[in-house]
Amino acid sequence: MNAAAPIATSTPLLSVTPAVDQIDWADKNYLVVDDFVGVRQLLRESLRSLGAKNIDQASSGGEAMGLLARVRYDVVLCDYNLGDGKNGQQVLEEARVRNLVNPSTVWLMVSAEKSVESVMGAAEHQPDAYLIKPITEGVLLTRLNRVWHKKQVFRMIDQACAEKDYLRAAKLCDAQIEVSKIHELDLLRMKARLMERSGQPTRAREVYERVLEQREYQWARAGLAKIRLANGEFEQARQAFQGVIAENRYYIDAYDQLALSFQHMGKLDEACAILERAAKLSPNSVIRQRNLGNLALKLGNMQMAEKAFRKCIAIGEYSIMKTPDAYLGLARVCGQKNDPKEALQLLLLAQREFGHEHPDIGLRAKITEGLVYHESGDYRRARKAGDELEAMLKASAERPDIPTCLELATLLFAVGVKDAPVELLCYVIRNNHDNPLLLDEVQKIFDKARMQEEGMAMIRALKKEAADLMNQGVLLWKTGKLADAVDWMRNARKLVPNNQRILFNAAQIMVSCLQQQGYDAALAAEAYEILHHVDHLLPGQQRFAQLMEQLAQLQPAQEDAAGREDADGASAGSASARTEAPSAR
Amino acid sequence: MDDTPNAHELSLFLASTAHDMKNSISVLSGTLERLLVAQSPESSPGTGHAYTQMAHMLYQTKRLNDNLMQLLALYKQVGKPAYPFDMQPLELGQLVDQVVALERVLLQSRGIQLELDCDPGLIWHLDEDLIVGVLSHAINNAIHYTCDRVCLAIRETDGWLELRVEDNGPGYPPSLLRAGEIATSGTAGGVNFLTNSAGLGLYFSSEVAKMHRHRGRHGALRLENGGRYGGGCFILRLP
Repeated sequence: MNAAAPIATSTPLLSVTPAVDQIDWADKNYLVVDDFVGVRQLLRESLRSLGAKNIDQASSGGEAMGLLARVRYDVVLCDYNLGDGKNGQQVLEEARVRNLVNPSTVWLMVSAEKSVESVMGAAEHQPDAYLIKPITEGVLLTRLNRVWHKKQVFRMIDQACAEKDYLRAAKLCDAQIEVSKIHELDLLRMKARLMERSGQPTRAREVYERVLEQREYQWARAGLAKIRLANGEFEQARQAFQGVIAENRYYIDAYDQLALSFQHMGKLDEACAILERAAKLSPNSVIRQRNLGNLALKLGNMQMAEKAFRKCIAIGEYSIMKTPDAYLGLARVCGQKNDPKEALQLLLLAQREFGHEHPDIGLRAKITEGLVYHESGDYRRARKAGDELEAMLKASAERPDIPTCLELATLLFAVGVKDAPVELLCYVIRNNHDNPLLLDEVQKIFDKARMQEEGMAMIRALKKEAADLMNQGVLLWKTGKLADAVDWMRNARKLVPNNQRILFNAAQIMVSCLQQQGYDAALAAEAYEILHHVDHLLPGQQRFAQLMEQLAQLQPAQEDAAGREDADGASAGSASARTEAPSAR
Repeated sequence: MDDTPNAHELSLFLASTAHDMKNSISVLSGTLERLLVAQSPESSPGTGHAYTQMAHMLYQTKRLNDNLMQLLALYKQVGKPAYPFDMQPLELGQLVDQVVALERVLLQSRGIQLELDCDPGLIWHLDEDLIVGVLSHAINNAIHYTCDRVCLAIRETDGWLELRVEDNGPGYPPSLLRAGEIATSGTAGGVNFLTNSAGLGLYFSSEVAKMHRHRGRHGALRLENGGRYGGGCFILRLP
């Protein structure tokens, strides 16, 4: 440490922070959101004395959303408690999800006391800072400046993240750590998350351990526990998450992860109890209430399931995070309580509310309808729903996600439909030929439908078919027929549109083609499209991160090339060494 | 605090009431500061008496705010795992800036000089809101008891951060010094703080100090008389 430089001031007005660091806040656009008019006026006065001229005000979440939809604000000061309607967090989430704020927008969340939310952990949408009332000009200015500087430090990193080039983003973190000591921990936290998202838990662990060498930060402990969870070390993960909770009872994310650990260990009762505790401490999370409802439903605790799903729907009313799952889940509860009438009403409501964002809601609602009738013993109506589902599958080539496929196939077999579920399971096998755990599940569905032999034969045949399809492409690539290999993979993708292994190899062959034959914008765009699709199927895979980085590096230089060079220089990257061959099997 | 539904409802009710009171106090102290700045004796002569009275109102409002904040924090169990403790790395310059900003108008209106002595670039890990609260409370207190100077000095010694608020007033009365000793020795003497009128603030500060832990050490509060001005010294040590 440097020798302390005494700063004796003759007047108490001087700041100890150098003036060069100050930002001009006069020309920015401000939004102040508080339901108390006195506080709005006070904040407006404070902002005016910073020189601000353009200050809008809103007294409710709804009013704030209206303004945010019309004006791009540089700074938002938003109270957490806004009375009835949306709370501050919901305003923030909706503004971010609907892209109503820029990445550069400073969002300060204001509350009367130290908020639980500020230490909750991994809430997806965090404000840039939390402020506690009363807010004085000096505190406001200090925090505004700090957030602004931090945003500068993170600007290039956030951009790389938005482009899903996580490895470039991680290198930029390393480069910034060298020059920005005060943000070291934030940068390390970011880097660890990037490593997780890139499917490299070992490197994420190194980062967390580096943090813990400095100080006992609970987010780093929770990060280590999450890696154990991902590695299947459920018991160690459980202990670690419980340790985090013992240190900080409000670290809500640890509860959610602890419940997951219990779930993986097959201890559903314990998982449910933990989620219930978490929902009590922080009741306004749509996702948590949904998970609690689903678990309670699985356990047959209809009372708890109903309470959670109803709460989930109620919070969802004001939240962009609202989910059809709560409606479908609650319909199941109603069915089990022998109230199919309310169940059907909920299913209609779900289709009306979510028809736009969820194109598969009609199918999912119909599945739930079939389950409700089947579980309540109305086999005639259940079969009718099954026939309707079969017709829906025939009418469209689109297939829902894998869990829905399995649920649908199970239901169809149960109500006595034969061809449609077999076709559906064939689709699942073709697109997941190298996922033995999933294939086991498929086999079990066949077993239950008394199709053990046929199922086994189908799995064997379809596995070989998909593997042959892929190997032929790889063979073409290995023998130097690059154009043919690309064409072959293009065709393979049409036949099995959701096979991650084939998709990755298709992208890999295209990248390799770009590397050897020069950059081609159309081919690069095609590779990006494939990669984004595979990331949508299963996020956080290592090959995704590597291929995204390679693709970005192939791109001819752009205006932000300087940042990339900095990052590469700082970590002496060995990108070329990581270029892998497409893998045959 | 137990987790029965009633306790939960009560805590929600208390939280919303506290929220409301905070809003009122915010407006009160904000308006007073604005008025004091506008009416400073230099800019509008002849308002001396009213100005002094307003300055005293500001002091009392700040006391009210400090007490409310401390009560709320204690209700939320400062010192226990149940409190949403939020440690972050912070440059001392930013810590001092915020404390100075909170006290600026009150200091000026009382004609008291604040001296600062710290390395603004030094980084320490602490709960910013809690420590800003503790320091500004200590300075409010010093403003009330000092003659005409208060000093905020922060430095690193042997792996500890020592934060001192010193004044040139008559110093702490013996009863408070004793209470302070008992609190730092770690015996169950926290209660003694609370029997004194200044107790809440000291008890709160001591709990905040203890929450800051690092490698088996935890922070502590100490009261002394003497220091560079011979008055009261409020000394916070954080690991």
